[in-house]
Amino acid sequence: MKTRVSIIFGLAAVLGSSVSAGAVDLRMSWWGGDARHAATQEAIKFCGDKHGHTVAAEYGGFGGHQEKVTTQLAGGTEPDIMQINWPWLPLMSKDGSGFADLATLGELDTSNWTAADLAAGTTNGKLNGLSVSTTGRVFFMNATAFEKAGLAIPTTWDELIAATPKFKEVHGQNAYPFYAAGLDALLIVSLVTTQMTGKDLIDPATNTVAWTPAELAKGIAFYQSLVDTGTIQSWQDAAGSGNTNLQERADWIEGRIGGAYQWDSTYSQYAGPLTKGQTLVSVPILKVSDALTDGVYRKPSMVWSISARTPNAAAAATILNCLVNDEGAIAIMAGHRGLPANAAAAEQLLASGGIDENVVAANRLVMEAEGPTVSPYNEHPEIRDIFQSTLEEFAYGLLSADEAGETIIDSINGVLARI
Amino acid sequence: MGGDSKYLGLAYVTPYIIGLLIFTAIPFVASFYLSFTTYNLMSAPVWAGIQNYVELFTRDRTFQRSLGVTLSYVFMTVPLKLAFALFIAVILNYRLRGINLFRTAFYVPSVLGGSVAIAVLWRYIFADTGIVNMVLLSVGAEPVNWFGDPKYALFTITLLRVWQFGSAMVIFLAALQSIDQSLYEAAAIDGAKKWQVFTFITLPLITPVIFFNMIMQTVEAFQEFNGPFIITDGTGAPLRSTYLLPLYIYDSAFRRFNMGYASAISWVLFAIIMVLTLLAFWSSKRWVYYAGDRRS
Repeated sequence: MKTRVSIIFGLAAVLGSSVSAGAVDLRMSWWGGDARHAATQEAIKFCGDKHGHTVAAEYGGFGGHQEKVTTQLAGGTEPDIMQINWPWLPLMSKDGSGFADLATLGELDTSNWTAADLAAGTTNGKLNGLSVSTTGRVFFMNATAFEKAGLAIPTTWDELIAATPKFKEVHGQNAYPFYAAGLDALLIVSLVTTQMTGKDLIDPATNTVAWTPAELAKGIAFYQSLVDTGTIQSWQDAAGSGNTNLQERADWIEGRIGGAYQWDSTYSQYAGPLTKGQTLVSVPILKVSDALTDGVYRKPSMVWSISARTPNAAAAATILNCLVNDEGAIAIMAGHRGLPANAAAAEQLLASGGIDENVVAANRLVMEAEGPTVSPYNEHPEIRDIFQSTLEEFAYGLLSADEAGETIIDSINGVLARI
Repeated sequence: MGGDSKYLGLAYVTPYIIGLLIFTAIPFVASFYLSFTTYNLMSAPVWAGIQNYVELFTRDRTFQRSLGVTLSYVFMTVPLKLAFALFIAVILNYRLRGINLFRTAFYVPSVLGGSVAIAVLWRYIFADTGIVNMVLLSVGAEPVNWFGDPKYALFTITLLRVWQFGSAMVIFLAALQSIDQSLYEAAAIDGAKKWQVFTFITLPLITPVIFFNMIMQTVEAFQEFNGPFIITDGTGAPLRSTYLLPLYIYDSAFRRFNMGYASAISWVLFAIIMVLTLLAFWSSKRWVYYAGDRRS
C-alpha cells in the first residue's frame, strides 16, 4: 500500500511539474488603434488557450511607444513578444544582438514570407524581425469634392495645380485641393526629389545622402510652388490648427481639402470621418513631368520581434507562430495591420473578404508602383528632425531653397557618418 | 526618547527613505555620472569626460535656442502668474456673499492642472478656428495665428501655465487672512487710501509668501513639459519657439538615444535653477520682511 501511494504521488509530481514547465506566462506589446487592440487581444487569447500559455497584453497609441520600448530594452524589462517599427531595428539592434534570432526558433514557420521580406528584418545575418506587412504612402483623393467642383481627379502634379482655381471657386478661398504640412510636406519633397533623381535620400552603398544640394533644392522649390499656387495650405497656416490631425480637421471632414499623401493602411482613418455622401479613393502616385520613377515610399510597416533575453523564447515563438500562421488567428487579426506579408494569410483574407477592399486597393497601388529601395535611416529620429526643422525654416522664409538643401544634406551626412 | 520609540520612528520613515533613494537620490547621482559619458541605452556607457558639456556650450545651436526660449518662458510666466494669483486672492479676501463658492471655482483650474486633457483643450481654444479667434472676429479684430506664428506660440503656452494659478492663490489668501486687522484699522484712522494700505501694509507683510511662491513657481516653470509637448507634439513648433529645455532633454534621451547628453542638459538646467534660487535668497534680504524683523 505504502509503495502504491508513493508511486501515485511520484507520478502526480512528475505530471504536475511537466504541466507547469509547459505553461508559461508571456508578455506581448504593440501599438495601434482601438480596432487593432480588440482584434489582437482576441487573437492572443485564442493562441494562448490553444497552446496552454498566458499572454499579457501591453498596448497603446504610437506616440511614445518607441520611448517605452527603448527604456524597457535598456532596463531589461521588455516583453517577450514585441511589435517593432521597421526603422527602429538598426537603432535597437545595431549588430543583430538586440532581439532573438527568429531563424533559430524552430517553432516559428517563416516559409510563407518572401526572401526580400525576411531580408528586411535581418540585421547582421540574424532575423530580428518578421515582417507583418508591406506599407507605403499613397494619394487619397476626395472624389466627391473634385466631382462637385466639376473636376476629374488629378493624375499628375500639373493637373492638380491646374485644378486649384476651380476647386477654390466652388469650395471657397480657404479650400485646398491637397494637404501637405509638417511631416507630409517633408515626404512630398522627398517623393518629388526621388521622382526627379530616381534615387532614395540615402545611398546604401556609401551611406551618404544620394541627392545633390541642387537636386534637393529643386524638390523644395516644388513644394513652395504648391504653396504659391494655393494648391496646399502654407506651413504657418496649417500650424494654426494647433497640431490637430488632418482627419480631425473640419475642412477635411467637410471636403474642403481635396486629398492627402498617407499610409495605405490608414484608409479608414481618413475615409471614416468624412461627412455622409463623400467618397475617398486611392489613386496612383502623382508624378512630375520629368520623373524617372514613381518614387514610391514602400517599406515593411512593422515587424514582430522576440526578446533576446526571454527565458521563454520557445513559448514566445509558438505564440507568434500561431498569430501569424494559424488560420483562426489570421481571421481574427484580419487586416488590422494591413495586408499580411505572409502570402498564405493574405490569400486567406482576400478569399474570405476579411480585409477592407479599400485597404487592399491602396496596398495594390503601393506594391505596383516602382521606386528605389528605401533606407531605414530615412526615419532615423535625428535625420527626420534635421530634414523637417530645416524645411520648416525654409517655409517660414528664413532660408532659401538652396540654403535649405545644402543644410539638410550636410547635417544628414554628419549624422550618417556618426551612426 | 526611549530605544523602542526611536526604532518605531525609523520604521515610519523607512518607506520614505527607500523611495527617496530609489526614485530621487540614485537617479540624481547616476545622471551626474552619465553626463560625462556617451550612453545610447543599448550598450554600456562610455566615459567621454567633459565632451557633452563642451558640445553644449560651443556647438549646439539647438541648446542655445532652447535655453533662450526657456528663460523667456520663465520670466514671462512667473511674474504673470504671481500677479494674477495675488490679484484674485485679494478679491477673494473680501467678505462677499457666496465667497466660498468663488474660492472653490477659482481653484478648479489647479485641480485640473496641466494635464493632457487640458493641453488638448488649449489647442482647441487657440486654434485658428477656436473660440479666441471667434471672439476676436466678433469684435471686428483680425484673427491671430496663435500656434503658427513664432511671436505668439510661446505666449499661448505661458497662458496655460498662468491659468493654473490656484495653488499660489490659496497660499496668498492664507497670508492675507493672517494679517492683523488692527493694522488696517490704524491706517483707516490715519486716513490712508486703499492703494496706500495695500502698498505699505499688505504687500510688505506678505513678502515671505511672495518669496516662497516665486521660488516654487520658478522651479516649476523651468520643468514645464506637458503643455508644449502635447500642443506641439513634442516638436516645439513653430521654429522651436516653444522648445523648452525639458523637451530637448526628453528628445535627446528617448528619441535620439543619447542619455549622456540628456543628463548633461539636465545638470545645466539644475545649475541654472540653483543659481537663480541662490540669487533670490540673496536679494530677499533687501525686500522680504519677517515677523520680528528689526527693519519692520
